[in-house]
Amino acid sequence: MSARPEFTLHDLLHNSVARDASAVAVVDGDTHYTYEDLERESSSLGAALADAGVERGDRVGVLVEKSWEAIVAMVASSRIGAAYVNVNPLFKAPQVEYLADDCDIRVMIGDTQKLEELQPKTVETAFYRGAKPEGHAARSYVDVADAMKGEGLKEDRKVSESDLGTILYTSGSTGMPKGVATSQRNVVVGAQIVSTYLENTSEDRILSALPLNFDAGMSQFTTSLRAGASLYLLRSRLPGDLLKALRRHEITGVTGVPPLWALLIRSARSIRENPLTHLRYLANTGGRIPQANLDELRNLLEPAGTKIYLMYGLTEAFRSTYLDPDEIWRSSPEQGNCIGKAIPNSEIMVITKEGKEAAPGEPGELVHRGPTVAMGYWGNEEATRKAYRPNPLAPPELLDVERVVYSGDTVKRDEEGYLYFLGREDAMIKNQGYRLSPEEVENLLLGSGLVHEACAFGVENPAVGQDVIAVISLKDGSGGDSGEAIESIRGYAIKNGPPYMIPKEILVRDELPKTGSGKIDRKGISSAYANG
Amino acid sequence: MVSSNGDARAAIRGWLQENVTGGRDVPDDEPLIENGVMTSLQTVELVAYLEDTFGIIVEDEEFDEENFGSVDAIARLVESKAA
Repeated sequence: MSARPEFTLHDLLHNSVARDASAVAVVDGDTHYTYEDLERESSSLGAALADAGVERGDRVGVLVEKSWEAIVAMVASSRIGAAYVNVNPLFKAPQVEYLADDCDIRVMIGDTQKLEELQPKTVETAFYRGAKPEGHAARSYVDVADAMKGEGLKEDRKVSESDLGTILYTSGSTGMPKGVATSQRNVVVGAQIVSTYLENTSEDRILSALPLNFDAGMSQFTTSLRAGASLYLLRSRLPGDLLKALRRHEITGVTGVPPLWALLIRSARSIRENPLTHLRYLANTGGRIPQANLDELRNLLEPAGTKIYLMYGLTEAFRSTYLDPDEIWRSSPEQGNCIGKAIPNSEIMVITKEGKEAAPGEPGELVHRGPTVAMGYWGNEEATRKAYRPNPLAPPELLDVERVVYSGDTVKRDEEGYLYFLGREDAMIKNQGYRLSPEEVENLLLGSGLVHEACAFGVENPAVGQDVIAVISLKDGSGGDSGEAIESIRGYAIKNGPPYMIPKEILVRDELPKTGSGKIDRKGISSAYANG
Repeated sequence: MVSSNGDARAAIRGWLQENVTGGRDVPDDEPLIENGVMTSLQTVELVAYLEDTFGIIVEDEEFDEENFGSVDAIARLVESKAA
């Protein structure tokens, strides 16, 4: 059936077109787009991007909300050998400008409103969705609707699986996002692996509920494309819209993060009265589902035949483990947070501080080996060398060419080989499914110009993962009413940062405690907070 | 129980200022979800607050972007239920 070998994202497209060009590929609102539409419009947009000067290896920014255009943009970029960079739609102008500079995005496909917020000359050419933008974010503008209707490519450019496929930005400890350079091979193998264990077929109707800039969100599209399935784009994350989408489209598979299930459970009464009989699977990623919610989900969905997959993934290696739905009982308060076993075609090692394989029950760092191990962090040698290291268990005869990913997560393995998540080695905060570095929150608060020192950390809250808390000292420490200053700082943060980065609580101290080496004592401050 | 439209509008705006926007007043027609003013979990908290304050019940299917897209829309929903 697969007419071509699968090397690139657009190979997946061509195979699905060959299988059934008239099958529905994407549903956006009330509009259905077929695989033939995706083939034709990605060819036109690819040609227009090439006309705008996009060369093989260049990065193309995608700043449109989840939409048909966002999907076409990814495939079009792939067909001309460019890497797409899906920008978090919650990002405000400062983060978008940082990204454009960090990976040198010269051509950006964006929603007009988003483009208008950017500084002059942020990019060379902007393909806009909507009315022609005011201002000078780009030197030249092209209407993306026209570009998608124009003359197509004569043929796809020569692209190999070793080429850069996409850059996935994730929160970084330097105070700004860092980009995980992901090859075409990483993307394609990721789609092969995930669609294998989720058993996706062309009959599937998959709900895209996660943002496309998130590895797991992109995965719904790539797996759907590979299987020749239909992808339903859901932008709203309100429970009524989620429930109506699941029912109206008779969705067979949905992947999400724990807060999404809290919203689904809110519709328990309606689901009990009218079970979701079409839903074949539900897959969780981005953190542990609170046990009470997992029990409730199982009660609501399993009787109607839905299988629940608990997954664990690192952007640095796309996806890492999943727990077989039949073994879901293993994740419990008694057993711990079971994350299952390695995904197909991959290996998970548990490595002790001494660099040895941990014994069963012994804690160690989760280290991922396999074909989804990404190419490193874009333009960041230090972070790349820290996370992407030689395989510690390789035979000495093989030298140290192969790279594996050190996750920074502490896990243990039981006698039967199941992995359990124990905690993180760094101070990363998990809020509403987003992995967030404290430095990025601190950097945002310092940007207000009112803050002298800032320390951010996460505090456990099962409903959202962790709440973001910040302790600060003020530049103008002359006492007075700090309430007003806090409101100004919060107002600045809301205007300049994504919602999940805004601290739930901002506390003011005269001075922040330091460690022996003079750094702000984040551990001390967060445990003082926890102890009231 | 409070039930007039003006009260619903004021209560929603007050709640948003206190819990979401850090004191900024939100125009009645500003798109709340689309513009990323409110997260979905904050919307859940808002619904709990409205149910308590106005003695109403928001049905599962009503809890959507159409009804929660702006202060205007939420006020209309509350008003229709409290009437």
